[in-house]
Amino acid sequence: MAVTILIPAPLRRFTEDRASVQVEAKTVGEALAKLDELYPGIRERICEPDGRVRRFVSIFVNGKDIRSLQGVETPLADGDEVGIIPAMAGGR
Amino acid sequence: MIRIPREQYEAIVAHARQEAPREACGLLAGHGDRIEKVYPVPNRAELAVEFFAERGLIPPGRDYRPDAPGAIAVERFFMDPEEQFRALRAIEAAGLEHLGSYHSHPATEAYPSRTDIELAAFWPNMLLMICSLADPARPVVRAFRVVDGRVQEEDIVIEE
Repeated sequence: MAVTILIPAPLRRFTEDRASVQVEAKTVGEALAKLDELYPGIRERICEPDGRVRRFVSIFVNGKDIRSLQGVETPLADGDEVGIIPAMAGGR
Repeated sequence: MIRIPREQYEAIVAHARQEAPREACGLLAGHGDRIEKVYPVPNRAELAVEFFAERGLIPPGRDYRPDAPGAIAVERFFMDPEEQFRALRAIEAAGLEHLGSYHSHPATEAYPSRTDIELAAFWPNMLLMICSLADPARPVVRAFRVVDGRVQEEDIVIEE
Protein backbone atom coordinates (compact mmCIF):
# COMPACT_ATOMS: atom_id res chain seq x y z
CA MET A 1 0.00 0.00 0.00
CA ALA A 2 2.39 2.71 -1.15
CA VAL A 3 0.82 6.15 -0.83
CA THR A 4 2.22 9.56 -1.64
CA ILE A 5 2.08 12.32 0.96
CA LEU A 6 2.25 15.84 -0.46
CA ILE A 7 4.17 18.13 1.88
CA PRO A 8 3.17 21.82 1.97
CA ALA A 9 5.95 24.42 1.68
CA PRO A 10 5.82 25.46 5.37
CA LEU A 11 6.55 21.85 6.49
CA ARG A 12 9.31 21.07 4.00
CA ARG A 13 11.98 22.11 6.46
CA PHE A 14 11.18 18.79 8.18
CA THR A 15 11.46 16.76 4.96
CA GLU A 16 14.80 18.00 3.64
CA ASP A 17 12.80 20.19 1.24
CA ARG A 18 10.99 17.24 -0.33
CA ALA A 19 7.57 18.14 -1.78
CA SER A 20 6.33 14.54 -1.58
CA VAL A 21 7.14 11.47 0.48
CA GLN A 22 6.10 7.85 -0.16
CA VAL A 23 5.09 5.60 2.72
CA GLU A 24 3.35 2.25 3.18
CA ALA A 25 0.08 2.76 5.07
CA LYS A 26 -3.50 1.49 5.27
CA THR A 27 -5.02 4.59 6.89
CA VAL A 28 -4.32 8.32 7.04
CA GLY A 29 -3.33 8.01 10.72
CA GLU A 30 -0.84 5.29 9.86
CA ALA A 31 0.57 7.37 7.01
CA LEU A 32 1.14 10.29 9.41
CA ALA A 33 2.84 7.95 11.91
CA LYS A 34 5.14 6.63 9.17
CA LEU A 35 5.90 10.17 8.06
CA ASP A 36 6.84 11.06 11.63
CA GLU A 37 9.16 8.03 11.82
CA LEU A 38 10.98 9.34 8.75
CA TYR A 39 10.89 12.99 9.82
CA PRO A 40 10.49 13.22 13.59
CA GLY A 41 8.50 16.21 14.83
CA ILE A 42 6.42 16.77 11.70
CA ARG A 43 3.33 15.01 13.09
CA GLU A 44 2.88 17.40 16.01
CA ARG A 45 2.66 20.19 13.44
CA ILE A 46 -0.32 18.40 11.90
CA CYS A 47 -2.08 16.68 14.83
CA GLU A 48 -3.07 17.48 18.40
CA PRO A 49 -1.46 15.30 21.10
CA ASP A 50 -4.65 13.15 21.10
CA GLY A 51 -4.23 12.39 17.38
CA ARG A 52 -6.97 14.63 15.98
CA VAL A 53 -6.00 16.80 13.05
CA ARG A 54 -5.34 20.37 14.20
CA ARG A 55 -8.08 22.82 13.32
CA PHE A 56 -5.92 24.97 11.07
CA VAL A 57 -4.71 21.98 9.07
CA SER A 58 -6.68 20.13 6.40
CA ILE A 59 -5.80 16.69 5.07
CA PHE A 60 -7.04 15.43 1.72
CA VAL A 61 -7.18 11.97 0.23
CA ASN A 62 -7.24 12.31 -3.54
CA GLY A 63 -8.52 15.86 -3.12
CA LYS A 64 -11.31 15.07 -0.61
CA ASP A 65 -11.10 16.60 2.88
CA ILE A 66 -10.87 13.74 5.42
CA ARG A 67 -13.30 15.67 7.67
CA SER A 68 -15.96 14.62 5.17
CA LEU A 69 -14.55 11.04 5.05
CA GLN A 70 -13.51 9.08 8.15
CA GLY A 71 -10.95 11.45 9.61
CA VAL A 72 -7.59 9.86 10.43
CA GLU A 73 -9.30 6.44 10.12
CA THR A 74 -9.88 7.08 6.38
CA PRO A 75 -8.59 3.98 4.55
CA LEU A 76 -5.89 4.31 1.91
CA ALA A 77 -5.37 2.27 -1.25
CA ASP A 78 -2.25 1.74 -3.30
CA GLY A 79 -1.39 4.92 -5.22
CA ASP A 80 -3.57 7.25 -3.12
CA GLU A 81 -2.42 10.79 -2.67
CA VAL A 82 -2.55 12.40 0.78
CA GLY A 83 -2.39 16.20 0.75
CA ILE A 84 -1.72 18.34 3.83
CA ILE A 85 -2.29 22.10 3.97
CA PRO A 86 -2.42 24.73 6.69
CA ALA A 87 -5.38 27.11 6.56
CA MET A 88 -5.10 30.43 4.85
CA ALA A 89 -7.14 32.98 6.73
CA GLY A 90 -7.17 36.56 7.91
CA GLY A 91 -9.34 39.61 8.08
CA ARG A 92 -9.41 43.21 9.12
CA MET B 1 9.99 44.59 -4.97
CA ILE B 2 7.48 42.40 -6.77
CA ARG B 3 6.22 42.58 -10.32
CA ILE B 4 2.74 41.74 -11.59
CA PRO B 5 1.15 42.05 -15.05
CA ARG B 6 -1.59 44.71 -15.27
CA GLU B 7 -4.37 42.22 -16.04
CA GLN B 8 -3.56 40.07 -12.99
CA TYR B 9 -3.47 43.17 -10.80
CA GLU B 10 -6.86 44.19 -12.18
CA ALA B 11 -8.16 40.68 -11.52
CA ILE B 12 -7.45 41.14 -7.79
CA VAL B 13 -9.30 44.46 -7.73
CA ALA B 14 -12.23 43.03 -9.74
CA HIS B 15 -12.50 40.05 -7.36
CA ALA B 16 -12.43 42.40 -4.34
CA ARG B 17 -15.25 44.49 -5.84
CA GLN B 18 -17.30 41.45 -6.75
CA GLU B 19 -17.18 40.04 -3.18
CA ALA B 20 -17.66 43.33 -1.28
CA PRO B 21 -18.83 43.84 1.42
CA ARG B 22 -17.33 40.39 2.13
CA GLU B 23 -13.61 39.82 1.83
CA ALA B 24 -12.28 38.21 -1.35
CA CYS B 25 -9.26 35.89 -1.19
CA GLY B 26 -6.99 33.88 -3.45
CA LEU B 27 -3.49 32.61 -4.16
CA LEU B 28 -0.56 34.23 -5.98
CA ALA B 29 1.67 32.19 -8.29
CA GLY B 30 4.64 32.91 -10.49
CA HIS B 31 8.41 32.75 -10.35
CA GLY B 32 10.74 34.47 -7.89
CA ASP B 33 9.57 38.06 -7.44
CA ARG B 34 7.17 38.00 -10.39
CA ILE B 35 3.50 37.14 -9.97
CA GLU B 36 2.22 35.59 -13.18
CA LYS B 37 -1.25 34.41 -12.25
CA VAL B 38 -3.76 34.89 -9.46
CA TYR B 39 -6.10 32.07 -8.38
CA PRO B 40 -9.37 33.17 -6.70
CA VAL B 41 -10.47 30.86 -3.85
CA PRO B 42 -13.95 30.95 -2.25
CA ASN B 43 -14.10 32.57 1.20
CA ARG B 44 -15.70 30.25 3.80
CA ALA B 45 -15.26 32.49 6.85
CA GLU B 46 -18.77 31.67 8.06
CA LEU B 47 -17.75 28.02 8.55
CA ALA B 48 -14.61 28.85 10.53
CA VAL B 49 -16.15 30.41 13.65
CA GLU B 50 -14.32 28.18 16.15
CA PHE B 51 -11.07 28.64 14.28
CA PHE B 52 -11.14 32.41 14.85
CA ALA B 53 -12.77 32.21 18.29
CA GLU B 54 -10.15 29.93 19.81
CA ARG B 55 -7.44 32.37 18.74
CA GLY B 56 -9.22 35.32 20.29
CA LEU B 57 -9.77 36.84 16.87
CA ILE B 58 -13.44 37.67 17.31
CA PRO B 59 -13.99 40.95 19.18
CA PRO B 60 -16.09 40.70 22.36
CA GLY B 61 -19.81 40.92 21.70
CA ARG B 62 -19.50 39.95 18.04
CA ASP B 63 -20.85 36.74 16.66
CA TYR B 64 -19.37 35.08 13.65
CA ARG B 65 -22.39 33.24 12.29
CA PRO B 66 -23.71 35.09 9.23
CA ASP B 67 -27.31 35.12 10.49
CA ALA B 68 -26.44 36.28 14.03
CA PRO B 69 -26.94 39.88 15.16
CA GLY B 70 -23.69 41.80 14.75
CA ALA B 71 -22.18 39.07 12.57
CA ILE B 72 -18.66 39.84 11.41
CA ALA B 73 -18.43 37.31 8.59
CA VAL B 74 -17.70 40.21 6.26
CA GLU B 75 -14.58 41.07 8.25
CA ARG B 76 -12.74 37.76 7.97
CA PHE B 77 -11.66 35.31 5.31
CA PHE B 78 -10.97 31.61 5.51
CA MET B 79 -10.14 29.91 2.23
CA ASP B 80 -12.26 26.91 1.36
CA PRO B 81 -9.73 24.13 2.15
CA GLU B 82 -10.62 21.85 -0.78
CA GLU B 83 -10.58 24.75 -3.26
CA GLN B 84 -7.32 26.02 -1.76
CA PHE B 85 -5.78 22.56 -2.20
CA ARG B 86 -7.10 22.36 -5.78
CA ALA B 87 -5.61 25.78 -6.58
CA LEU B 88 -2.23 24.73 -5.14
CA ARG B 89 -2.29 21.63 -7.36
CA ALA B 90 -3.21 23.76 -10.38
CA ILE B 91 -0.29 26.09 -9.62
CA GLU B 92 2.05 23.12 -9.48
CA ALA B 93 0.61 21.64 -12.68
CA ALA B 94 1.14 24.98 -14.47
CA GLY B 95 4.81 24.88 -13.53
CA LEU B 96 4.47 27.93 -11.27
CA GLU B 97 5.60 28.54 -7.69
CA HIS B 98 3.15 29.37 -4.94
CA LEU B 99 4.31 32.85 -3.92
CA GLY B 100 1.60 33.91 -1.50
CA SER B 101 -1.99 35.01 -1.12
CA TYR B 102 -4.19 38.04 -1.59
CA HIS B 103 -7.31 39.26 0.15
CA SER B 104 -9.43 42.37 0.30
CA HIS B 105 -10.18 44.83 3.07
CA PRO B 106 -13.57 46.11 1.90
CA ALA B 107 -13.72 49.01 4.38
CA THR B 108 -10.27 49.38 5.93
CA GLU B 109 -6.77 50.28 4.79
CA ALA B 110 -4.48 47.99 2.78
CA TYR B 111 -2.31 47.01 5.73
CA PRO B 112 -2.10 43.65 7.56
CA SER B 113 -4.47 43.48 10.54
CA ARG B 114 -3.60 41.72 13.79
CA THR B 115 -5.60 38.74 12.45
CA ASP B 116 -3.59 38.77 9.21
CA ILE B 117 -0.25 38.92 11.04
CA GLU B 118 -1.14 36.14 13.46
CA LEU B 119 -2.46 33.79 10.77
CA ALA B 120 0.41 34.52 8.38
CA ALA B 121 2.59 32.53 10.77
CA PHE B 122 1.24 29.29 9.21
CA TRP B 123 2.82 30.32 5.90
CA PRO B 124 6.09 32.01 6.81
CA ASN B 125 7.72 34.47 4.40
CA MET B 126 4.88 34.26 1.89
CA LEU B 127 3.69 37.35 0.05
CA LEU B 128 0.54 38.93 1.38
CA MET B 129 -1.25 41.28 -1.01
CA ILE B 130 -4.11 43.35 0.32
CA CYS B 131 -6.64 45.27 -1.76
CA SER B 132 -8.44 48.05 0.10
CA LEU B 133 -11.80 49.35 -1.10
CA ALA B 134 -12.06 51.91 1.72
CA ASP B 135 -12.42 54.50 -1.04
CA PRO B 136 -14.43 52.48 -3.59
CA ALA B 137 -13.45 54.79 -6.44
CA ARG B 138 -9.74 54.40 -5.67
CA PRO B 139 -8.76 50.83 -4.74
CA VAL B 140 -5.34 50.55 -3.08
CA VAL B 141 -3.25 47.38 -3.43
CA ARG B 142 -0.13 46.86 -1.31
CA ALA B 143 2.15 43.86 -0.74
CA PHE B 144 3.80 42.65 2.45
CA ARG B 145 5.69 39.82 4.03
CA VAL B 146 5.30 38.93 7.69
CA VAL B 147 8.67 37.74 8.95
CA ASP B 148 8.80 36.62 12.59
CA GLY B 149 5.68 38.66 13.31
CA ARG B 150 7.13 41.82 11.74
CA VAL B 151 5.50 43.41 8.70
CA GLN B 152 7.73 44.32 5.77
CA GLU B 153 6.29 46.12 2.77
CA GLU B 154 7.24 45.20 -0.79
CA ASP B 155 6.96 47.73 -3.61
CA ILE B 156 4.69 46.63 -6.45
CA VAL B 157 5.67 47.22 -10.06
CA ILE B 158 2.76 46.80 -12.48
CA GLU B 159 3.87 45.54 -15.89
CA GLU B 160 1.92 47.08 -18.78
